Amino acid sequence: MVSVWKSFSVNLFGLLRVGTSNGVARLALPSSHPILSIRVRGEGSSKSTWSQQQLRDNRGSFFHIWCSKYGSISSTDTYVNGGDGDYRGKRYLELTDQELMRQCQLDTFKSSGPGGQHRNKRESAVRLKHLPTGIIAQAAEDRSQHMNRESALARLRTLLALKVRNTVDLDAYSPPKELLQILPAKSTIRGSDCGPQIGPKNPKFILGMQALLDLIFAVGGSISEAAKFLGLSTGALSRLILSDDSLRMVVNELRISKGLKPLK
Amino acid sequence: MRVSFIIGYGVPKFSILLRPHGSCYLCRPMCSSSTSALTTSQKPRTSLFLRPPTHSATLSDLQKWQNWAKNLASSVGSTFVDLDNGPDSTLLRRELKWLVEDVTEDGSISAEQQRNIRLRVSLEELYKLWKQRIEERRPFQYIVGCEHWRDLVLCVEEGVLIPRPETEKLVDLVADVVSDNQGLREGLWADMGTGTGAIAIGIGMILRSYGRIIATDLSPLAVGVATFNVQRHGLQDVIEIRQGSWFEPLKDVEGKLAGIVSNPPYIPSDHISGLQAEVGRHEPKMALDGGVNGMNDLLHLCKGAASMLKPGGFLAFETNGEKQCKHLVEYMETNAGGIFCDVNLVPDFAGVHRFVTAFHK
Ligand SMILES: C[S@@+](CC[C@H](N)C(=O)[O-])C[C@H]1O[C@@H](n2cnc3c(N)ncnc32)[C@H](O)[C@@H]1O
Repeated sequence: MVSVWKSFSVNLFGLLRVGTSNGVARLALPSSHPILSIRVRGEGSSKSTWSQQQLRDNRGSFFHIWCSKYGSISSTDTYVNGGDGDYRGKRYLELTDQELMRQCQLDTFKSSGPGGQHRNKRESAVRLKHLPTGIIAQAAEDRSQHMNRESALARLRTLLALKVRNTVDLDAYSPPKELLQILPAKSTIRGSDCGPQIGPKNPKFILGMQALLDLIFAVGGSISEAAKFLGLSTGALSRLILSDDSLRMVVNELRISKGLKPLK
Repeated sequence: MRVSFIIGYGVPKFSILLRPHGSCYLCRPMCSSSTSALTTSQKPRTSLFLRPPTHSATLSDLQKWQNWAKNLASSVGSTFVDLDNGPDSTLLRRELKWLVEDVTEDGSISAEQQRNIRLRVSLEELYKLWKQRIEERRPFQYIVGCEHWRDLVLCVEEGVLIPRPETEKLVDLVADVVSDNQGLREGLWADMGTGTGAIAIGIGMILRSYGRIIATDLSPLAVGVATFNVQRHGLQDVIEIRQGSWFEPLKDVEGKLAGIVSNPPYIPSDHISGLQAEVGRHEPKMALDGGVNGMNDLLHLCKGAASMLKPGGFLAFETNGEKQCKHLVEYMETNAGGIFCDVNLVPDFAGVHRFVTAFHK
């Protein structure tokens, strides 16, 4: 359990911890580029939402993504519902950068002092708040303001995939194409027309990842159940989940909440 | 001595000759001050990231350097912050990471690498460069010879102002006005006091084959660096660089400009001595000092813009902040003979009122 956000973010470099306090779920995950930490906050949280001060405290670490949500979801439920089966969550990911940006509020680091020609200092952190879901993505480690905005947008896409759930009808389930594309070739339901397996480094991976999480949530975190729907062995699906840090984190968080053992 | 290591590396070839352009304005004989750019501009030194990796060091020697450099950065603590609001250890360590990015072939040092790592500068120079960063407060951007600005990587060197993140927004302001105004998009623009060419190149990327830009500067060093950056981004047919003082090299386009954009020197003279060491000790005074209240160049440009812009033309200036913005707005609305309309104050990313935009009636 971590109570001070500042030390939390700095100390957890490369480590993995999950915990909740004050209705605030926090997870930090080591990711390929180079550390990703996510904080999920429930509506009833006593603390204010993101503040400048928190950003200032945290500018020392590589970058952070804060996730918060609003709406009438209980504070233990950290997921945003993408809508009643209307796949709104998926549609966010299909928006162009410009369209997605239009749904966001952009905040940037408020530097003290006059700035401009006076200063040689890169306080170019960017924070994007996706207004429909309340999800927040931030980037601070790039070398230009502009590139930080691009990074924040890319992270927002990942967070939307991780955090926005679409309802799945298990009785009539057939995996969408984006999901089939991230499955290994040995899946019995994956036709050869899906092309080569799309890995976590490919930007298209997040679409498949979102659909996979939708399924895993629908089956209550059971990997063996989900594997059956995908024509995979339980082991093969576990390996796929473990291949991406953020995917693993979210699946494990769900499993822990359901009293299941986390995947290792 | 400090820059001796750069000698001996070939500067990537670029032609100093400025080609005439398709635009009718630019086909006219150029005035003499613009042609002087051809003779007085100097070749910039080569940014570290553009040099060939002709050096090498063992992994352990390089790690030793990296640890030394990290410790040096850590030893700074908040000394510079307290002294003149300079960088803290955290920022310096981040810069160190970027330095490694620029000098190594792979962009990082990791234990999995081969024992010999190819470098764009020698290990000895790496020690020297980081010492300069910490002990002389030489700006990081002059050390690596570049600055990442918007989605561009611009070469920069001593004598030329390092483009600031705030200024990135000037390009967005132009992108906004040209998006629904064909006349402006296809017109002739001017970036006054272009420095590295940052603003002109940012706008050039947006106008591309539609419009044209003349970028001016009084400093021959800036003209050299801007010319190089324009070439490196393949915009030599879109941007013409001219040397001279403010409107002097633009006499042939009087009343014909679709837009004027400038980030002129705006720091009040008596603030110069108290500036952060990276700025005050290393960046050119000519790029910073805006006279007693910092408004000399801004007012001069504002007055001149009235006769340089064509009807409907657009104007965007960067300022020192709210006070200068208000002063400028007041000038435009009351003293400029009703020539400007839609005068607007625009904040920068930090919420400081930074820009003034307006249209020529
Ligand atoms: C604050 S710098 C801006 C540089 C660049 N536009 C940028 O934003 O990074 C001001 C520039 O104006 C140039 N300058 C100063 N006095 C000038 C003059 N009288 N005529 C033309 N340029 C001038 C300086 O050389 C410097 O490059």
